[in-house]
Amino acid sequence: MWAWIFHKFTGWVLVGYLFTHIAVLSTAIPAASADPSTLAASGDIYTQTIVTLEELLLVRMLEVGLLAVAVFHILNGLRLLLVDLGIGLESQDKSFYASVMLTGAITVASVPTFLAGAL
Amino acid sequence: MAEHYSSFTKGGRLWFVQRLTAAFLVIVLAFHFFLLHFVNHADEVTFLMSQARMRNLTYYSLMILFLFTATFHGVNGVYNALVNQGLTGTKRKVTKWTLVAASIVLLVQGVRTANAWAGGVPL
Repeated sequence: MWAWIFHKFTGWVLVGYLFTHIAVLSTAIPAASADPSTLAASGDIYTQTIVTLEELLLVRMLEVGLLAVAVFHILNGLRLLLVDLGIGLESQDKSFYASVMLTGAITVASVPTFLAGAL
Repeated sequence: MAEHYSSFTKGGRLWFVQRLTAAFLVIVLAFHFFLLHFVNHADEVTFLMSQARMRNLTYYSLMILFLFTATFHGVNGVYNALVNQGLTGTKRKVTKWTLVAASIVLLVQGVRTANAWAGGVPL
């Protein structure tokens, strides 16, 4: 049951992020009409929006959280695909614990990359 | 053996498409995260770098397919989770069409953004 609850929770977070992500990336639409010198100097609204967000430690930490959520959803999703194919039915609980531990390990290992330049 | 929980009725059409998009997204979401956070760092993003990637037809096509599958998988997942929680009748219909409308807005805006980078479909 915990796998189902976590999968639903991470799914809600990811779908919420998808809408936010496209909203932020949409700044590329006005940026596309900026003059070439502004684009070359990274002075356009898209680049400036991303740079400003990435300067915030909170945003970097939220990105680590997003990675954790995405990795768990991917690993547990793989588990569900295998279970639906009838593979590993007897070891569902073990594969869930493995998904959680692997998510933790990948997330911790990624922290230096995500926080680089923000501290 | 642990009990098997799911928000979907196994064997249904939406269940199958949800699984099909999941198989695609497992690979592409991992690729997307790896490319844009580990190969290229998010704090080094510029419009011109994003534009260079999106002007490649293979990359552009992959991102458009990613947008459509992620939108379907996410919104269909939310809808089924709500139905699974007991959403019925008029509320179910209103929720369904609200999610459809939100998906259309997301897809239109996503394609507009991709085209802004690529200067149209990069054929």
